[in-house]
Amino acid sequence: MLNLLQVFSTGLGLAGYYALVAVGFALIFATLRIFHVAHGTVFMTAGYAFFGLHRLAGLHIALAAACALAIAALVGLLIDKIIYGPVLKRGGGMFSVFIASLGVSLIFESGFLVWSKGVVSVARAELLDIFIVGDVVLRRFDFFILAIVALAYGALYLWLHRTSTGLAIRGLTDNSELSAIVGVEVAKTRNAIFLVASSLAGLAGVLTAYDTGMTPASGVQTLFIGVVAVILGGTRNILLGAIVGAAALGMLTAFAGYFFPEWISFSIFAMMIILIIFRPQGLLG
Amino acid sequence: MEHLYYLGTLISVWIIVALAANLVIGYTGMMAMGQAAYLGVGAYVAAGLNVLLGVNFHLALLAALLVSGAVAAATLWPLLRIGGFYFALATLGLNFVFFDIFHNLGPRVEGSEGLHGLKLPDLFAGSGARFATTAALAALCFLACRTIVGSPLGRALRAVRDRPDALAALGKDPRRYQMLIWSVAGALTGLAGGLYAATLFYIDPTLFTLDASILVLVYIGVGGLASTWGSVLGVVLLIVFNESLRYLGLPSQYVGPLQQALYGLLLIGLMIFRRRGLVGEYDFRE
Amino acid sequence: MTSANNGLRIDGLAMNFGGVFVFDDVTIDIPPGKVTACIGPNGAGKTTIINIVCGVFAPRAGEIFVDGVKLAGVRPFDTVRHGLCRSFQDVRIFPFLTALENILVAMPGQSGENLLGLFTPGARAQERANREKARLLLQTVALEGAAGRPAGELPFGQQKLVSLLRAVATGARVLLLDEPAAGVEIDLIPRVVDLIRALAKAEGRATFLVEHNIDLVREVADHVCVLQGGRIIASGAAEHVLGDETVIREYLGRVYNA
Ligand SMILES: Nc1ncnc2c1ncn2[C@@H]1O[C@H](COP(=O)(O)OP(=O)(O)OP(=O)(O)O)[C@@H](O)[C@H]1O
Ligand SMILES: [Mg+2]
Repeated sequence: MLNLLQVFSTGLGLAGYYALVAVGFALIFATLRIFHVAHGTVFMTAGYAFFGLHRLAGLHIALAAACALAIAALVGLLIDKIIYGPVLKRGGGMFSVFIASLGVSLIFESGFLVWSKGVVSVARAELLDIFIVGDVVLRRFDFFILAIVALAYGALYLWLHRTSTGLAIRGLTDNSELSAIVGVEVAKTRNAIFLVASSLAGLAGVLTAYDTGMTPASGVQTLFIGVVAVILGGTRNILLGAIVGAAALGMLTAFAGYFFPEWISFSIFAMMIILIIFRPQGLLG
Repeated sequence: MEHLYYLGTLISVWIIVALAANLVIGYTGMMAMGQAAYLGVGAYVAAGLNVLLGVNFHLALLAALLVSGAVAAATLWPLLRIGGFYFALATLGLNFVFFDIFHNLGPRVEGSEGLHGLKLPDLFAGSGARFATTAALAALCFLACRTIVGSPLGRALRAVRDRPDALAALGKDPRRYQMLIWSVAGALTGLAGGLYAATLFYIDPTLFTLDASILVLVYIGVGGLASTWGSVLGVVLLIVFNESLRYLGLPSQYVGPLQQALYGLLLIGLMIFRRRGLVGEYDFRE
Repeated sequence: MTSANNGLRIDGLAMNFGGVFVFDDVTIDIPPGKVTACIGPNGAGKTTIINIVCGVFAPRAGEIFVDGVKLAGVRPFDTVRHGLCRSFQDVRIFPFLTALENILVAMPGQSGENLLGLFTPGARAQERANREKARLLLQTVALEGAAGRPAGELPFGQQKLVSLLRAVATGARVLLLDEPAAGVEIDLIPRVVDLIRALAKAEGRATFLVEHNIDLVREVADHVCVLQGGRIIASGAAEHVLGDETVIREYLGRVYNA
């Protein structure tokens, strides 16, 4: 009985991470039609970079986090420039880019595997900082995550709605040809999309590395959860869709983890398949 | 010699898997990203029947073929109404769904993660015999696939791939062909799964993950889509190449990641420079 | 009992896409052995008629009969079974199949398309016979030279001819041809004309022809109906309709001035 609330709060914490990864993925998918599997790689890169800079190189934690974010943003941008660009330029389509993206994530994953097979984790002391309401144990860190997610979403909202680049991006989700006519500078907008989406994934990566830690498999796992969240929420409204999808998935993961922990990925992907079949436009679409 | 036989057997197994995947991906244009699921079903059916129920391995192989074909048909049925990219995504999800199924429901031998202790009949008993039998089966599959792709059925498959709506207008239901060939591919992959179990002596769920499905994609991507010889070529080249990595004298913990990184590079290189692979007749158009 | 073979009848068809009205009360008889043409400006709904007959869209109202039997709940791939086959305005050739294969794939009842039939000797004999038939079809439009070339590499007009032959090869008694001459190189047009004539006159197929090329319509059509502004504004014998004042003013005039 007591545990339902407990599970609920765990779910909210998870939803925060998912929302950060999902919204960036959705941004790229909805505007550029790129199924960016390596978005998970970017997420992981930030986590490992954070670990490396802070734990190994001894950088101050805030500085290390900022550098990790910058590295993630840059890696995301470079993946688009060096890999996707050429694939598209040589006549490849959505599926070819998807496969190339899988290739990118294989390469990074192998690199992290060489680095360490196990969990890489930054600091855990503050994570024990809890307080108890009724009979539910709450982690202060989860509130921190949610606050950061709220800030990131607020900034993203302002960016999308108050700047000319944001306007162009929203144009892309509606009708790319139209925006081309209206004169969106495609290359510039594209870079902005990748930089912003990758920083968001980087943020999630830094937080994850700090909280539960990273393994070489984290990237693909988190990415696919983000993908399912996007499918759940639909891409009609990127921000709302990603947050709704992430919240639903956070809950699903938490509840599945509590009631049938052996079947978590089964639940997630079975739900994804069912959803694709019956509501490919997403729950909100 | 033992090791060469083992390699030959492994190559034969993957040739069957690649041939089957090429039937659906290369010839019919269905983005099958979850072939590992059917491979696992075949392996678990064959090994489970043989190890736990003492069923003769030949029969167990036949059962693997039939059950995998049926599972393939059953999984495709709901997916047929979705098209394009979401189809690929849904088949990709099969990897995760079936992994949990194998992991949670798959039979295991007391005290281990998976199944071992196969009782193999003469045709599979020694490593030489096993190689000969597996290679013969692979050759048979090769001939069957060539017959299919060169037949009116193969023609219809390519028509499904290129313009399903036009084929429908000619009075032929594209889904009928998709169902048929998906089941055939599932069955062949299941047979390969049974043979895979005999090759490794041991199976567990980690053999049948997204990684295995990606491997299949790499094999036929390198060899060539819509080409039976391409399926063979891709598997032979990559497994031999992979094997040669072992002789570089690298510390053993680097070999796996190195292979993985090379596969990643290959996928990227293929998508940029040669989407039809070495001898392919078709490329990843979308 | 005459209903046993009276071709296609489109009766009181009405259509709209959501709130967008397309046409109302379209009634057309397409008898066997005759070419019935439908002309009308762009966007009048000519292709939509074919799409409805072939089960791509459901009409708002109206019925369709083939040889007196009402069609209901047809899906596109059922049409040939009911004796209908359509061609596409935008060709939709199988680009990676050769011209010959494009025609072969359309032939009905191939045992080589079944997994078990595939390995029977009967399938081989049938395939040989079909190949011969397909080659003869190509000869009727003097395209036998293109038989082995991937259809996607042929000039547009030749692709269109192949796509017509494809429909012919299904053996359908009723053919719905969507602008078979549009975009076809001028020197190939006579072959299109001859083919359509042969289908109707020599083989007795009921042929529904949607076409903008009025000269071609004049040459081959027995009956003409004019679809404009959401209804049939004129219909009847070709020379009658094409000589009609309103039709000339409303439609032909515009085409010729264009
Ligand atoms: N799938 C669809 N959804 C919505 N509207 C459609 C659809 N198909 C056609 N329409 C609309 O219906 C009308 C009739 O289209 P249709 O293609 O039948 O015209 P047409 O007479 O064949 O014209 P054309 O001579 O240009 O081929 C057009 O206004 C078109 O925009
Ligand atoms: Mg039209």
